[in-house]
Parts: sequence; C-alpha cells; structure tokens
Amino acid sequence: MEPEELTELALEAAVAAGAGYADVRWVREETEGLTVTDDRVDDLEAEDSSGLGVRVLVDGRWGFAASALVDPGRAGDLARRAVEVARASAAAGGEPVRLAPAEPAVAGWSTPVARDPFAVPLAERVELLLAACDAQRSVAGLAHAKATVDLWRRRTVLWSSEGTRLDQTVTQAGAGIEAVAVGDGDLQQRSWPNSFRGQYQAGGWEVVEAAELVANAPRVAAEAVQLLAAPPLPERVTTVILDGQQLSLQVHESVGHPLELDRILGMEAAYAGTSFVAPGDLGRLRYGSPAMSVTADATTPGGLGTFGFDDEGVAAQRSPLVAEGVVAGFLTSRETAVDGAGSGGAMRADGWGSMPLIRMTNVHLEPGQGSLDELVADTPDGLLLSVNRSWSIDDRRVNFQFGVEAAWEIKGGRLGRLYRNATYDGRTTEFWGSLDAVCGPGDWVVWGVPNCGKGQPFQNARVGHGAAPARFRNVHVGVGR
Amino acid sequence: MTGSGPERLLEVAEAAIGAGGADDAEALVYRQAGGLTRFASSRIHQSAWREDLSVRVRVVVDGNRVGTATVHSADPGAVRATARRAAEVARTMPPDPGYPGMPGPAAYPEAGRHDPATAAADPATRAGLVAGVIRRLPDGVAAAGACETRELEIALANTRGVRAAGATTAASFSILADAGSGTGWAEGTEPALADLDVAALGERAARKAVDSREPRELAPGTYPVVLEPNAASVLVQWLGWLGFGAKAYDEGRSFLVGRLGQRVCSPLVTIVDDATAADTIGVGFDFEGVPKRPVTLIDRGVAASLVYDFRAATGHGVEPTGHGLPAPSAEGALPMHLAMLPGQIPQADLVAGLERGLLVTRFHYTNLVNLMDTTITGMTRDGTFWVEDGRVVGAVRNLRFTQSILDALSSVRAVGAETEMAAEDGYGAARAPALAIDRFAFSSATTF
Repeated sequence: MEPEELTELALEAAVAAGAGYADVRWVREETEGLTVTDDRVDDLEAEDSSGLGVRVLVDGRWGFAASALVDPGRAGDLARRAVEVARASAAAGGEPVRLAPAEPAVAGWSTPVARDPFAVPLAERVELLLAACDAQRSVAGLAHAKATVDLWRRRTVLWSSEGTRLDQTVTQAGAGIEAVAVGDGDLQQRSWPNSFRGQYQAGGWEVVEAAELVANAPRVAAEAVQLLAAPPLPERVTTVILDGQQLSLQVHESVGHPLELDRILGMEAAYAGTSFVAPGDLGRLRYGSPAMSVTADATTPGGLGTFGFDDEGVAAQRSPLVAEGVVAGFLTSRETAVDGAGSGGAMRADGWGSMPLIRMTNVHLEPGQGSLDELVADTPDGLLLSVNRSWSIDDRRVNFQFGVEAAWEIKGGRLGRLYRNATYDGRTTEFWGSLDAVCGPGDWVVWGVPNCGKGQPFQNARVGHGAAPARFRNVHVGVGR
Repeated sequence: MTGSGPERLLEVAEAAIGAGGADDAEALVYRQAGGLTRFASSRIHQSAWREDLSVRVRVVVDGNRVGTATVHSADPGAVRATARRAAEVARTMPPDPGYPGMPGPAAYPEAGRHDPATAAADPATRAGLVAGVIRRLPDGVAAAGACETRELEIALANTRGVRAAGATTAASFSILADAGSGTGWAEGTEPALADLDVAALGERAARKAVDSREPRELAPGTYPVVLEPNAASVLVQWLGWLGFGAKAYDEGRSFLVGRLGQRVCSPLVTIVDDATAADTIGVGFDFEGVPKRPVTLIDRGVAASLVYDFRAATGHGVEPTGHGLPAPSAEGALPMHLAMLPGQIPQADLVAGLERGLLVTRFHYTNLVNLMDTTITGMTRDGTFWVEDGRVVGAVRNLRFTQSILDALSSVRAVGAETEMAAEDGYGAARAPALAIDRFAFSSATTF
C-alpha cells in the first residue's frame, strides 16, 4: 500500500476517534555506514526503517503513537491508540495546548543531489576508505587509521487534519578520517575534516568527495604522531582563536540550545535542562559582543538542518537569533510560538517513531571579514584551538568546558609549538562578550553536527552550523593542569 | 508472526537465514514496545507509545566475505529481500582474513525478568502515577520528569544451530522537583513497574528541592564528597566504556593497557558485569548468540578481566564472555550489565562520617576529557549540599568536576550498603552504591 493511503487511513481514524487536531507522518529512513580500520572493513551497516507516527490533540492534550508494523488494518488502531494516550494525559490537569495558526502546505521537496550516494557502488566506497587508511599509515609512528562514510535518506509523507499534504526527501552524506597515535601511556587522535566521523552536509556523493580524505590523510596522521610528543597545554588566561569545526560546536551548545523555546519554557527541564535565557529577554539580553550575529536558517544549501518543511508542515525559514550581540529570536514551534508571530519552523522528529520537538535547524554565526591567516597575523599572543574532542555544559547552558584535538601557540602573529590535551572553559555570555573578530565568508563553512541528543524517549537530530574561525579574549585554558 | 512470546520472533529469524547459498548466516530480531509519559511544570505535556521491530541479517559468502542488512519489518517478503541484500553486500566486500565464523548452540543462563503487567501498562496507568506524585507535592514546588514502561524481546538464529530467544521488561520513573531557587532529583529503574515506589521518589525529590533553596557559592577546589548512587553509577558506566572490551584493549585505546592484574583503585571497589543478577535488565545471550557470563572487571581494586566478543575471544584463544555487539562491530565487546558491589555502611552513615565536604545527588552532561587516565568532566545538578561534622548545613551552587575516575576510586573511603540502578541521560544503566571519596576535583562553578 502506498504511504499516502496508510497516512489517510490513520488520519481519518484519529479524527473519528475524537482528535481535535491530528497529523500523521509516514517516514522511511535509509542509512548506510561504513568503517574501515587500517586494512579491513571494521563495520558495515545498511538499515531500512519505515513506520507511521500519529500525533493528536484531544481536548488540548498531546498523544502520540508510532509503529514500524503498519498495514491498512493497523493504521486505524495506531490512531486510536494515539487518542487513548492523549485522553490519559488529562489526568494531571494544567493548561491545554493551543497551536499557533499555520497555512496548510501542499507541496513536495527534495534535497538537491548531484550524485545519488546510495547508488555509488559499495566497492567504490570501500576502495576510497582503504586508500584513505593507506595514506595515513604511510606516516611512521601511527598506531591506527580509520576512515568512514555515512549516508542518510529520509522520505517523509506528512498529512494533517488541517489539510497539510507534504512529501519530502532529505539526503545527507558525510565522510572522515581519524588518525590514532599511541605511546607512553597516552593516546592522541587527529581527525579530518571534523571529529565524530567527519564532515556531513545535505547532498550526495559530492559531499564525500569534497572531504578530500586521501589528500589530507598524511598531514592528519603526521599531526596525530606530533601530538604524542607535544607537551600538555599549561593553564593560563589568554586569547584563543577557535577553528570553524570547534566553533560550530561552541555555537551549538552555548547559543543554539539555550535559544530553544521549549527549553526556555521548562519543557525539557528534567532531561536536557532549561536555559539561562528567559522569554522576556527577547530584544533585551546582551548575549555577546557586537561582533556576534547568529541566524537560524533552514534554507541554507548543504546544511544538515536544511529542509523544505519541518515536521509540523511549517515552511523552512531564516530568522535572526542574536543581532549584534542582543537576543533577537528563539527557535519555536506552533505550540510555543509567541504573540502571533507564528512558528519558526523548528519542529523535527527523529524518524517515524518520535514526536517532533523544537530542534536546531542550521544555526550560524554570521561571518565577519578577513581570513584565518590574517586573524593569526593580527594576534600577538594566544592559541589556535582545532577540532573538538570533548564537550560539556550545565543544564542552564551557562558553564561550559571543551577539549580540542590540537592547540597551536600563536606568538607575534605566527603559529608556533603544538600542545596536546588542550581544554578551555567559561560562562556563556562572558565568553561571547569577549568575541572580537570573526573571519569572513571565504573561511565560512556549514559544519554538520550529526549527534544532537534531546527528548524522552531519546531523539537524535542532525543539525548544521555555519562558522568561520573567530577570536575570543581572556579565555581560561588548560583546565585540570 | 504466529504464537506468543519471544519465540515467535525466532520464526522470523529462521526465515531470514533459510534462503541458502551462504556459508554462514545469522538473523537478529529485536522488538521493543512501550510508552512514556512525560511531564513538566506539573502537567503532562508529552506522552507517547511506540513499537519497533528490526531484523538484522548477517551473511557470509566465499568463506570470509561478510555483509549485513537491517529492515524494520516482520513482513516475510521484506525480510527475505533483506537477506538477499545482505548476501549482495557480502559478495562485494573484500575478504576478511580474520573472520572467526559464528558461534554454535549453547545453553543460556536465566537472565532478566519479564513482568507481564509492566509490558501491558497502559497510558492511564502511567498518567495516574504521574498525577498522584504531582498532587502530593508541597506548595511552591513544581515537577518535571517521565514515567516509562517497556518490553524488550530478542531472538537470534544462525546456520550453526544457535536458537536463542528472551524477553525482559523495564520500568522507570524520574522526577525533578523545582522549588524556585533550588531543584531536587530522584529516579528509579526496575524490571517491574510495581517495584517502583514512585511516591517515595516524589517525596525525595521534593525534599531535596526545598533543601536546595538559596544555594551559596563555593569556590572550586578538591573536596571530600559523598556521591549518591545516581552520581556514582555515572563513574561506573564511564569506566565500563573506557577499556574493558578486548578489541579496545588490543588496539591500545583502553586505560587498562599495561594495568591488567594491577591495583587500579581502592580495595573497597569491586565492579562486575552480570546479566544473570536478579536486579538487572536484559536477556541471557549477547548479540551474537553467546551465553552471557558474569565477569569480575575490578576485583577489590585490581583490574581483573576483559570482556570478549566472538571474534576477540577466537583471536585470544579464550571463551567469549557474551558481551558481543551486533557483528561486525568497530567497537568490539562492551560490558552492558555493570554493577559496583555494595559495602556494609548505610548510605546515611556515609554523610554522618563526612567532616567537611560535599553531598552530590546527580551529575549532568558528563563527557570524556582524557581516555588513558580516565578523566571525565561534568556538572553537579539538582541537589548539591555542603556537609559539616556529618550534617548537611546547606545547598551550594553547582560545580563542574574534572576528575580521573581511577583517581577518585582510589580514594574511596567507604561504600554504601544500598544500590540503585541509574545512568546519566539514559545511555544504558549501571547499578551502584553511594561512595565516600576523599578527594574529588571541582574545576569551576556555575551561577545557580
């Protein structure tokens, strides 16, 4: 049976059972992951998951039911179960949910793809990763070489009781290498283009090719070996330049999450936490320096948070979150949309089995000017911190601590010695207040964060962050030294 | 599918490996169904039910070319197509000279507990528990949290004769109480919903929230601490991830390299992995169909054993311990039923024995800083108290720790008698007692 028919059956059953509002998502997600370690395929996963998720509002209470085991007979049962869940939710009382109005969308949308990554023969993928490992292993002293490719394709058919009829396919791809050096009781890793299995974007095999794994492998492996002999980063307060990879996660943890309106309203309090930002801070709170402008943009080509419509059927949008250092917007849903502004289109679900939650789309630090070379040259004393290896932040997103794979000393405007085990920490608004320069569009890249966790049951989201290297003053580095 | 219980999943697995033409074939069928009722600001704001079933097929051709494919469906046609796809993948893969074959049939230990009432718990039951706890909150205290009931069924069949099937249930209730300037936390996880005392959890969280009001600032530094079981379980869980798997050890990415057989922490610390313990959640075989065996990982402070999947065990010439993940796995074996053994001292007496230091309820957002010296970082959360002369004298603002787990466990002064099963952020779970630790390093502080 076609997904539209299942979706329609479930939608009719939900409304007949008493749902005041209902939306039904049929989702098929195809995933392929390949890992080569040294000279052999270490892991191979090819997964095909489809199912139906029914979300209903009954007397202002949400209910959700989802199953991978759907056929025409079960679609109605699933919808009635969602209504049963919603009715039970009235037990604890409280204000009923109201949804901000949204124009029902009837449309189709697909990620532009130059070469279908799923059509690339497996043998070609294996050959690429073996070559990337071989190129790493040409460097003396390396313990292990790893290379990975991951592909995702998600088709969503979304129908709602308000008339939304959407069919959307998002395709994403990524690849990376990890060089590991081991010795004297220590382990050091250097990754390219990013840690956590590489760089990911929306698109096809061209994303994998753009990573240039083989060409970068010898340099990356050599840096891993050099790190093993490098001294640990001493503790001090100094100027730091974060590369785009590390900065993307800094934006993610200390800007994106705190500006999710469900967190601000306490809806994630028990699990992911809340936010130091209050609803009344809109237009008032100074979040950072005037060099800081942050935008949520689900329309950015290539972003992991790029789509045509969110999982409530709201069209992709671009809107400011921080304008020249001042809070200018939140990530919102139809439920949380404030003062008639309408949803910001940030509701995303981790497949058919999860309720949509407010998630980051692509949350960018807008570029400034100049190049990384020029920024280093303009820095008499400091550090260049490169590629994340550790992250942690408190449950209101104030106190953070990050670790990076590599730290280069900057002396007299030039890169100097390499340090290992580098960390830095701070408090969110103080840190962003110390931002004094962001590199320009030439160094601005939309980085992918493929492992954003939130919600109960746990949901993973893949989000994007445009970032160019940026400089921060008076940062505490070398925690725990 | 016909019949009932996890055995019906075996029919699906057997159909998947029955196509023929392969040197080896294996099918792993995993079904999970359950509901979660979530509350915030003292109202139920999200509630969900979900059923998933996956069939993962592993096929070996030409002796050592391995392919896998997974489908989320029990439809016979879809399962057959997935088996064909796994075979196609296998034919395109390079040979794996180290392919160890597949395990053969074995007897499986009794493990886990399947409670039919928990499997059948409906949304009204969960909502009723949540509403009851909210009604009993003191004035000025709001609550957030979740009540979850789940049924897990797993079946595995391979062409070497393995036929394994098992089922287990799990119920959990967590509550964050918010008293304005202070929050408190309590959480319980058990195989059966009826074994959870949700009223007591609500009372404990509310009491902590009230006691946490108006926290004072405390300078970062190294302090003696009492970690409640929830916080202690995070250390146990991390240690389990950081190097007990034989593959990680072989690749040099384990803190145990060069330390097996040596003292790595206090003699008061014994950590085991035991799927057969009455109070754990799981089944009696791993994801390769190998019986799960109890393993003592740290024996009275001495690093005692690794855990092995079938490949690593074959390479080492030892028996697999039943800790395999779905093969092939880049990660290798992992301990998945961790427990630190309790001591003799009631938890309350641990605080009574603390002259000056901190009582920690819970950690938040822990992460690895340095694998080889087991340093992790994270925040305290929802109940951090200053203790003087054995008594809690007030709440303090939350602190960030940056601390080697082994160093902390080396300065364990006393181990509590009661254990709880918990894990930060829901990734797996470990059972642990409260710990009194002489030196625990807090590297920075936050504002609340």
